[in-house]
Amino acid sequence: MIGQILKEAWISMTAYKMRTFLTMLGIMIGVAAVVLMVAAGQTVQNEITKTFDSMGTNLIIIGPGETVSGGVRGGRGRPSVSFDDVESLRSLKDVETASYIVNTAVQAVYGSNNYGVSVAGTTPEYLAIGNWEIEDGTMFTDRDLKSGKPYIVIGQTVVNELFGMQDPIGKTMRLRGQPFTVIGTLKEKGDGLMGDDQDNIILTPATTLRQRLRGSPRPNYTDVAFVKVTEEDKMESVANRIEYQLRARHRLKDGTDNDFTVRLMTEMVEKVRSVGLILSLLLAAIASISLIVGSIGIMNMMLVSVTERTREIGTRKALGAPNKWIMFQFLSESILISFMGSFIGMIIGVVLSQIGGTIFEKDVPISIWSVIISISVAVIVGVASGLMPAIKAMKLDPIEALRYQ
Amino acid sequence: MPQKKENKNAVIELKDVCKTYFMPGGMSQSVLKNISFAVYPGEFVSIMGHSGSGKSTLMNILGCLDRPTSGVYKLAGQAVSDKTDTELARIRGKEIGFVFQNFNLLMKRSIADNVSMPLIYQGIGEKERHERAIQMLHQVQLDGYENRLPTQISGGMQQRVAIARALINHPKIIFADEPTGNLDSKTSDEIMDVFTELNKKGITIVLVTHEDDVADYAKRMIKIDDGRKVYDGLRSNYNKGSKK
Repeated sequence: MIGQILKEAWISMTAYKMRTFLTMLGIMIGVAAVVLMVAAGQTVQNEITKTFDSMGTNLIIIGPGETVSGGVRGGRGRPSVSFDDVESLRSLKDVETASYIVNTAVQAVYGSNNYGVSVAGTTPEYLAIGNWEIEDGTMFTDRDLKSGKPYIVIGQTVVNELFGMQDPIGKTMRLRGQPFTVIGTLKEKGDGLMGDDQDNIILTPATTLRQRLRGSPRPNYTDVAFVKVTEEDKMESVANRIEYQLRARHRLKDGTDNDFTVRLMTEMVEKVRSVGLILSLLLAAIASISLIVGSIGIMNMMLVSVTERTREIGTRKALGAPNKWIMFQFLSESILISFMGSFIGMIIGVVLSQIGGTIFEKDVPISIWSVIISISVAVIVGVASGLMPAIKAMKLDPIEALRYQ
Repeated sequence: MPQKKENKNAVIELKDVCKTYFMPGGMSQSVLKNISFAVYPGEFVSIMGHSGSGKSTLMNILGCLDRPTSGVYKLAGQAVSDKTDTELARIRGKEIGFVFQNFNLLMKRSIADNVSMPLIYQGIGEKERHERAIQMLHQVQLDGYENRLPTQISGGMQQRVAIARALINHPKIIFADEPTGNLDSKTSDEIMDVFTELNKKGITIVLVTHEDDVADYAKRMIKIDDGRKVYDGLRSNYNKGSKK
């Protein structure tokens, strides 16, 4: 009986091809939009995860304290964490390593080429902290750090911009007129979270940077410090130990505020991820408005169809069609329309998202959610928009229906 | 009244059937008043009356599309009044053939599909439906028309398709409601000849009409006026002055 009902539904769908197609178009566009938005949201989420993975997630970030004037908290205060402070943290329990950076930006010159680069004055441990790897050459050593050797390790963007096809190892570059020797290159890392180029970087010993590029009245203080924790679930306890240690070293009395800030990378990751999730849910919610519009389209079409075919319904009833049969005939028509619409829409959505991925050079996942969404939409929309017209058809009085002009 | 003693074998039997429409505000309108008669196998009966006489309401009750307010209506021995909608649909599909004034064919469907439509609701498979449709089309002399659409044939042919559709279930009785109302007089005669032929083969036919020359084809006539049966007898006698 089900096969026969479906066949009847199919025949009446194909009898009005244009109308059926236009009705289907609403659902097609709706599902395609949802699939596309879900894919976009997932791509953003994946990119975020990838970027954090490239930075390492079990990091604790220590920055300067907040300025406080007259009870008003302002932005960053002056540097308060010294190189020695950071070195003292390396011996804390569950700390894998610790490092710090002092930043500056320079115009790097090699031969007749020059390029704007950010320079990080740091320690050899920074490689492990930032998940960097050496491509060629070596990293500078603790001895180089102590003696302030003019050694630099350069990122791939710097290699490409200044050296092209040449081997940069052993070459001398000029930063602010000072000669620096390239002793190593870094492996490529790709774009950062904000689309910034992580590979446009030069690493040099922090002492060298202080002496040659950016002097300071407090030369032994960091811009920002990093502590790498052995395991992610030890983050909280390590953060507490760091706070205790730094308060002691800074001789802060009980009741006074910290003159530094301690933030956990895991918390930042959570925040950014939840923003990403909200973003993709929002996109999908907006896209699903078009689904609602599409399903109203189906309901409208089915209502018109029931009215138009009143005489047919009366005839079928007079010739022995039970009420349920009539109801299922119309219901299966709307379900068929929404099913086909969602299936085609799903394919369109997947194809468009892959095309988009190719254009923007991102890996766009084909998610199982596309299929789940499409099928549930097909069923829900089909039933929701077809039920009312189908019941209307079922309830028609055959006598009235036969008399209908 | 003819054959009154053979009540047991009656195809349809009405006893004191009344139909009253209750309107909002407590008003009511009595459309059928104590109608009683029986129709026996092989009869050809016309029900006549002016518009508004109640003959359409009577036809709806006879065709199991409506239930009487009071009284008993038996079709093929079963009382219809206390049946559910689904049971009525089943009875309509199995025991009754309908022929309508405006044919009521599905214009987008082939003639064979139209003829075999009632069989869908009996759960009969596609192949058998098609074969039986072709047999029925042969009975109404429409061989070879099974794949055409109703829009491609004349009104008289469309009504013959409708008759084939009414016959396909081998019903106990055929109800024809003004079957010639939309046809010219020559085509009307053709259609009435088809009914006469079918009746000769033993099929019971009840015909509702307001046209005298159409009623002439039926041997027996029941006349309804203002909801009452005012005549029930041979058509020929009615013409000879038994008018009330």
